Amino acid sequence: MKAALTAALSLSLLATAAAQTSRQSTLVIGGDFSDLITLDPGVSYEFSGSLVTGNLYDTLVAYEGNNLTTLKPRLASSWTVTPTATGSRLTFKLRDAKFSTGRPVTAADVVYSVNRVINLKTPSSFLYTDVANLKVGSVTAPDAKTVVMDIPKTANPNIVLALLTFNIGGVIDSTEAKAHEQGGDYGTAWLKDHSAGSGPFVLNRWDRSAQVALDANPNAFRRSPTIKRVILRYMLESSAQQAAANSGEIDVAMNYTPDAFKAVAAGTKFRTQKADSFLLAYLGMNSAKGMPLEDARVREAVRYAIDQDGIISGLLQGLGRKTQTIIPIGLAGSDPKIYYPYNPEKAKELLKAAGKEGGFSVDFMVSTGSCAGGVPCADLAAKIQADLAKVGIKLNIKQMVNSELLTAYRAQKAPLIQVSWSPDYPDADGNGTPLSDYNAKSLAWRNGWQNAAASKLAQSAAIETDATKRLNLYKQLTALVVKDGPFAILYQPSRPIVIQQSVSGFNQNANGDVQFEKISKK
Amino acid sequence: MLVYIVRRVALMVFVLWGVSLAAFVISHALPADPAAAALGNNAREEQLQEFRVKNGLDRPLVVQYGVYMGNLVRGDLGASLRTQNSITADLRQFFPATFELTLGAVVFAVLIGVPLGIVAALTQGRWPDLLARTFALLGGATPVYWLAILALNVFHEKLGWLPGPGRLDAYSLPPPVKTGLVTIDSLLVGDREVFVDALRHLLLPGLVLGMFSAALLTRMTRSALLEVLGQDYIRTARAKGLTRARVIARHAMRNASLPILTVLGTLFGSLLTGAVLTETIFSWPGIGGYATTSAISLDFPAVMGVTLIAGLAYSVVNLLVDLLYALFDPRISFS
Repeated sequence: MKAALTAALSLSLLATAAAQTSRQSTLVIGGDFSDLITLDPGVSYEFSGSLVTGNLYDTLVAYEGNNLTTLKPRLASSWTVTPTATGSRLTFKLRDAKFSTGRPVTAADVVYSVNRVINLKTPSSFLYTDVANLKVGSVTAPDAKTVVMDIPKTANPNIVLALLTFNIGGVIDSTEAKAHEQGGDYGTAWLKDHSAGSGPFVLNRWDRSAQVALDANPNAFRRSPTIKRVILRYMLESSAQQAAANSGEIDVAMNYTPDAFKAVAAGTKFRTQKADSFLLAYLGMNSAKGMPLEDARVREAVRYAIDQDGIISGLLQGLGRKTQTIIPIGLAGSDPKIYYPYNPEKAKELLKAAGKEGGFSVDFMVSTGSCAGGVPCADLAAKIQADLAKVGIKLNIKQMVNSELLTAYRAQKAPLIQVSWSPDYPDADGNGTPLSDYNAKSLAWRNGWQNAAASKLAQSAAIETDATKRLNLYKQLTALVVKDGPFAILYQPSRPIVIQQSVSGFNQNANGDVQFEKISKK
Repeated sequence: MLVYIVRRVALMVFVLWGVSLAAFVISHALPADPAAAALGNNAREEQLQEFRVKNGLDRPLVVQYGVYMGNLVRGDLGASLRTQNSITADLRQFFPATFELTLGAVVFAVLIGVPLGIVAALTQGRWPDLLARTFALLGGATPVYWLAILALNVFHEKLGWLPGPGRLDAYSLPPPVKTGLVTIDSLLVGDREVFVDALRHLLLPGLVLGMFSAALLTRMTRSALLEVLGQDYIRTARAKGLTRARVIARHAMRNASLPILTVLGTLFGSLLTGAVLTETIFSWPGIGGYATTSAISLDFPAVMGVTLIAGLAYSVVNLLVDLLYALFDPRISFS
């Protein structure tokens, strides 16, 4: 046994020496990538999918770094928005770019990429069909370098531009995709684990549940000076990530627990980053008739009774920001005002005014897993339970798996629920409509909250093209929802990222994107 | 012998049918909607409905079962609701990793458990026996996840002797998939470096997973051997003037091996399905993680696929153990 161990150890030294050469040009990221289902940019709708496809494919326009308010050119070198009789027309001029296959990126590829998403009815198709109101034929290619997109009055060109930055906007080499079509699937089966984009990386291989390996794309116009290969290793457990980061086996860890993160942030061994997110952890309070939280005063009482600071400092160890309105911090339209300072006395008064002086009890639906920011949902629920108990509201915690929780929520059967939401594209409308317009049949509907004024504000804000007017509409909307709405926002979490000192340029923006080509390693 | 095997296989099919029925009923008794689970928080009602129709979830349960069994008979486990992949393909991908880990665990368990049991039996009541029994007690009582985190922390993080999570070093790309066992695949392409890397990665999770079995084997070997050592024929063998080592190897162990084999068989079966915690902590891309993710996302077909393959593995191992009986003990025959 001892001899075998010694032999294994000495062999290991040989192996390490050989691997040393590739270490500087390989970036290894450890994280929970278990949500990865496909690497087809038109189909992928998950966090990990966006993270990877963002580096395999280019979109027409994009956000750079942490600036998620100013659009930057990507495949389109320039673009114009012109009003038309029926709505507006977006015209994009393409730059000279090449796919990893060596073929030039043409306007026909862009048209193909948009149409395939519409025809495939992927999880994100609704962004094109319902939000941008596009149909097959709305996007045309007058010449190889020009793309024209016609949208009706019911869609806001600024929102359309914003959603083009999402992975569905990724432009695919149409010749390559057509070559791998099977039974009219637009190459979806093949693109699941192959890539045909113009992004800075190409897919080497995806070993499901093990790792995704990307290689630098020599044809790319955005190119990494030093990184030749990026490996995303599946490490679901924070403890595994910690062990691998400490031994230098991974360069970046994405899922430290708040406690572990706090410990390394205080030291000097690693760089740490509290990456912003647009996620909002909130309580959904069912406002339908007959529900315990039907009365708006009771919902206000809940908001006063929750100790947000305690949650952020105690449970999240500072990995979160305090906000109370429905638009996350970082998006134009968010409201930094604190409407409900922690005040249990005020909460009791409101309950009294609502005729619930003696308190009441309500079923509280909570996921068994981990909640936004990596906090166990059960811990968060216990804190909320304790806070509300102080004002006489008794919560009966009902723990269930996430999918079961979601089913109850969708059926409007959750009296009080602890969940989170993240917008699909970085625009206030990504939260504005689902959280306040009952007719959108999304979150306002799930909580049985029907408010005509809110619906109208959300709809006008969605199509308003004048930035100042739009901000004003969101100001009114957020103020209305924070007062009467069915939500108690708990916090906006930050992502704990731990990076080796030898790595520079790693930055994850609030959308969750990381530009791998900007990273270098010493 | 052949008749026996045929009878056992027939019984196996019946058992597996029972397993599939139980899995089907349990998975469909849950009050949650797999469409919601697959499409996530932001999906719209039309999308959900379309998904249900496409995957036949809108049909009556009896019809769904009929379709499922019909496909099953043709060897088709259906498609995963979550990934839309063929489950047969998924299992083919994830099972080898678990099999490799389990095989490693069994090898470690035998290498540690059997010799330790022999030593304990031969030194009954003295300190080596005491040590072995302490090990057996601790090994049997230590939770595997705790041991896994501890082992990772000490041997990987602190001492740096052994690699961390995963089947291979992050910097080396895995060999092309032939059998799915990285050790075998790397040998097939003659990549010695990757082979060594794979073996080293197998060491910690294999030991951790095998620890409970090693402890059990120590106890079993010790008691089986002690029982045999008191028999008349051992005394006879000693009286004939055979060396102590020969008596133990030829006479005692041969007869003590049957109960050990039985334990080993059941262990192998339970390890195959019980690797979930070890796989999670060591980021081992096996069936355990697949089963967990599938269960959490209400991926019924995938869960049933895993259940069936686990049942199949268990049954096959049991059959093999029974057949091995005849090999070890000529008195047993299956005619």
